[in-house]
Amino acid sequence: MNTRLLALVPTCIALNVAMGKIVQELGLPIYLDSVGTILVTTLLGPWAGVLTGALSQVLTALLSGQMMWLAFLPIQVLIVLVAAAAAGRSGFRTIVRAVGWGAFCGLLGGTLSSVIAYSLFKGVTAPGVTALGALFRSLGLSLERAVTLASISTDLVDKGIAFGLVAAVLLALPARMASRFPIAVDAVGRRA
Amino acid sequence: MTVRFDGVSFSYPGTDAPALRDLSCVFVAGQVTWLFGKLGAGSSTALLVAGGLAPILTGGRRTGSVRIGELDPGDVANRAALAGRIGYVSAQPHLQLSGLAETVFDEVAFAPANLGWERGRIGTAVLHALARVGAGHLVDRVPTELSGGELQRVVLAAMLVLAPKVWLLDEPASALDPAARAGAYALFREEARRGAAVVIATEDADGVLEVADRIIVLERGQVAVDGVPAEVLGSDACWALGVGSTTVGALWRAAAERVPAMADDGVPLTLEAAAAKVMQA
Amino acid sequence: MTPSAPGSLVARAHPFTSLTVTLAVVVLAFLLPASIGPVVLALLAIAVAAVVGDPASLTPSLIIVVPLWLLLLLVQGVLGDAPFTTWGPLTLSIGGLDEALAQGARLTAIVVASMLALRGFRASRFVDAAAERRWPFSAAYLVAATLQTIPRLRQRVTLIRDAQRSRGLRVQGSIVQRVTALVPLTLPLILGALADTDDRAVALEGRAIAAVTAPGARRTPLAPPVDTVVDRVVRWGSVLAVAVAIIWRITR
Repeated sequence: MNTRLLALVPTCIALNVAMGKIVQELGLPIYLDSVGTILVTTLLGPWAGVLTGALSQVLTALLSGQMMWLAFLPIQVLIVLVAAAAAGRSGFRTIVRAVGWGAFCGLLGGTLSSVIAYSLFKGVTAPGVTALGALFRSLGLSLERAVTLASISTDLVDKGIAFGLVAAVLLALPARMASRFPIAVDAVGRRA
Repeated sequence: MTVRFDGVSFSYPGTDAPALRDLSCVFVAGQVTWLFGKLGAGSSTALLVAGGLAPILTGGRRTGSVRIGELDPGDVANRAALAGRIGYVSAQPHLQLSGLAETVFDEVAFAPANLGWERGRIGTAVLHALARVGAGHLVDRVPTELSGGELQRVVLAAMLVLAPKVWLLDEPASALDPAARAGAYALFREEARRGAAVVIATEDADGVLEVADRIIVLERGQVAVDGVPAEVLGSDACWALGVGSTTVGALWRAAAERVPAMADDGVPLTLEAAAAKVMQA
Repeated sequence: MTPSAPGSLVARAHPFTSLTVTLAVVVLAFLLPASIGPVVLALLAIAVAAVVGDPASLTPSLIIVVPLWLLLLLVQGVLGDAPFTTWGPLTLSIGGLDEALAQGARLTAIVVASMLALRGFRASRFVDAAAERRWPFSAAYLVAATLQTIPRLRQRVTLIRDAQRSRGLRVQGSIVQRVTALVPLTLPLILGALADTDDRAVALEGRAIAAVTAPGARRTPLAPPVDTVVDRVVRWGSVLAVAVAIIWRITR
């Protein structure tokens, strides 16, 4: 319903940004900037997810000045598709299952990322990924392979954890709240 | 406008146990109806259903008929027609902010602007509403810098400015100090006298007893008691039901357990009534 | 991120002007020929921010941009191809350095322009400007509400972290410890935010959101920002610059 979208999407976009603060506090080398996108997909469906993901990407690009992130918009669509697929198959029934789906998402996303990163920017994008790429390169890998590997390994861990966290949230939702989101109810394989 | 429930049952999506079961009652225009129910009894749900938010916002299944005047609020087609005619106030003020306003004026003007009122009309209505809740001095302040009590007044003004014909209030005064609380309840009574149907769901018997014309007690989604507040709160049967009482009433009953004669003439619910009884004795 | 001073030019400008200019800068950064084009653009952006806009915005911009420059120079310089030049103990590729200059300048131009626009952004002015042009309210609301919610959630992160730490949560230690610390920090944040959105949705309904999101609805602008001649000149100028750059690029 339109009003729920208006109430939930800004919150989930803000969540994508706020997660950055948490990982910063914990000093973890991941982003978790799609937690909000995955969550809203399990709550309101793929269209809400694409809206959240796209707006988040634009916002991050603006806030960090790295407008090149806009080239990675297709990744957002990919994340939403995987999250929706997982939700439709009770992928969030347990945290472990969700992490598995997340790793799968990271694999696909990381591959797509590296293709985009290499073809458009010769591999220089986010500092973390670039540093990792430089490491692989210094180990003798070609630039393409280095960038690909860096992208995929970061993404695997990042999305795995992100999906896991969303599962933890969905499983912890009080019944009254959960029942208002039929997609989420399916996603955790729960039928009250 | 009068709100009528006729054999209404409502279940939230994904649940089988209904939150409201065959509920029939009337919230009469021009009266303040006090909705009382313990946790899980269904009073919050009843408010949502009365406004059509259940099932429009929450999803779920509703059977039976709900009418505000002639319109069914649960019908999506009526949403635009009823926009701005139903006022909602809940306990936490900061969750009722529009999120767009930089000043209190803009916050109160949010709804009228949505309805497309012209600017002059908005200005007058906003200042008038703020004055009625005693928040006129806050008009240029930033909403996020206000205290809980001040914010709740602003939220009340933001609803008042539309002059809704139905007020659905869920613990509207819990963020307010006792003086402001009394002011808020007086405001609700005023609105009722102007023809609105005011429904207040609260456990604050002390505050709402002054203004309530009717009490409806809900238990497990059904009407358990429907009557005059003073009678209901004073009756032994309802006390046994666990309906509760005002502070004075509860105190009197506790004393009456030691001195049964105290309860012979009925249980006083207000300080004045209790004082009068004591004077008589 | 602190908003810019109310008197500054960027705060007084029409909301759509700063957005148009920022977008133009972004596009131009990629269209203009490396590395002279981006460098000139970056210097121009800095000059505008300092002289006419909001000089205080340059500090956060610099903080973002400097580490990126260092990284670029290092990576491109080291990983690039011949010909090489020596600089102290390092052998750096000239081609790589040139590429780094271009990319760094692009980044700088974009960051400076975006920071300027973001600091000058005010939700209510933006919504009023959109309302005046009868743009759909939902879109404006989404943008504005998001920008309001971000600082609020970030504050909550701090509150939750403090609360959990006082209950014994450790945010340092082995990587496993830190990953598990994610749960007690994230769950309360998200669950709290979700509970709030329900209440917000109800409140929005009461505020006649149904009326303004209906097709063809018109919201009254409360204090419509003035669209001055300067605003329009700047906007059309930006569009023209982009058009020229595109044509030049195509015909080259």
